[in-house]
Amino acid sequence: MKLLIVDDSSVIRRAIERGIESGEITEVDQAEDGEQAIQLYAEKQHDIITLDITMPKMDGLTCLDQLMQINPEAKVLIISALRDRTTAIRAIKQGASGFLCKPINPDELREAFQLLLSD
Amino acid sequence: MNDQDINVFISTARRYFASLEERPSLVIEPPFVREKLGPFLEYTGIIGVSGRSRGVICFTATGKMLGEILGLLKESRVDEEAKRDLVGEIANTLSGNAREEFGSEFQISVPTVVVGAGPQLSQRNGSRNYAIPLNWHSETAYLLVALE
Repeated sequence: MKLLIVDDSSVIRRAIERGIESGEITEVDQAEDGEQAIQLYAEKQHDIITLDITMPKMDGLTCLDQLMQINPEAKVLIISALRDRTTAIRAIKQGASGFLCKPINPDELREAFQLLLSD
Repeated sequence: MNDQDINVFISTARRYFASLEERPSLVIEPPFVREKLGPFLEYTGIIGVSGRSRGVICFTATGKMLGEILGLLKESRVDEEAKRDLVGEIANTLSGNAREEFGSEFQISVPTVVVGAGPQLSQRNGSRNYAIPLNWHSETAYLLVALE
């Protein structure tokens, strides 16, 4: 399975990769903004994407829209510091499969990831 | 922004540091108001705020504290670049979490990071400069809030 981690923080990208701890992931790509994420996804069509919202160049919700245009079945887990209901609902309406708030809780991350894998 | 609103930021700071270790050791001192925004330490992450409020939120910390946090995150790279990245990410997390209370109209920018001398930030009319001291593992960081 291919995983794409999108976050403007390299520390967070590596923390997510470590935190997922899944033997089912065979390939991991990282992107630091929405534009890079779209390019990578168009090339490789990753099975699961984790997506930050507050990023330079292209924010996560705009990126999510474009990912859904490429593949409406894309599995996207939002991982954002924006801890408000409106943003979470908007992301889910746009097609996100889940929404986790930062700071990342490792147990919640693993659980959310397992749910996506089993979906 | 008033004294009550500052409690929102105290809560976000407490939540962040509690996420790092099983036995949280953060001690938050009473916030104080300064004529100018500060104090600034070695690394500062700056978030611009617009929408519901206007102004800036900064998280400023020593390299030693950021190094310890990187260790708790199991980050193998504890260099300058990782500390810059982390201080911006903490500023983003503390600011973004405040939307739980302030709502989605509380809009935040991507972080800007300054290393060394404190940033020169223009003072907005009607904003008070709050400093929230965060004592953690023998080091002190500050969450600085200057919002209209």
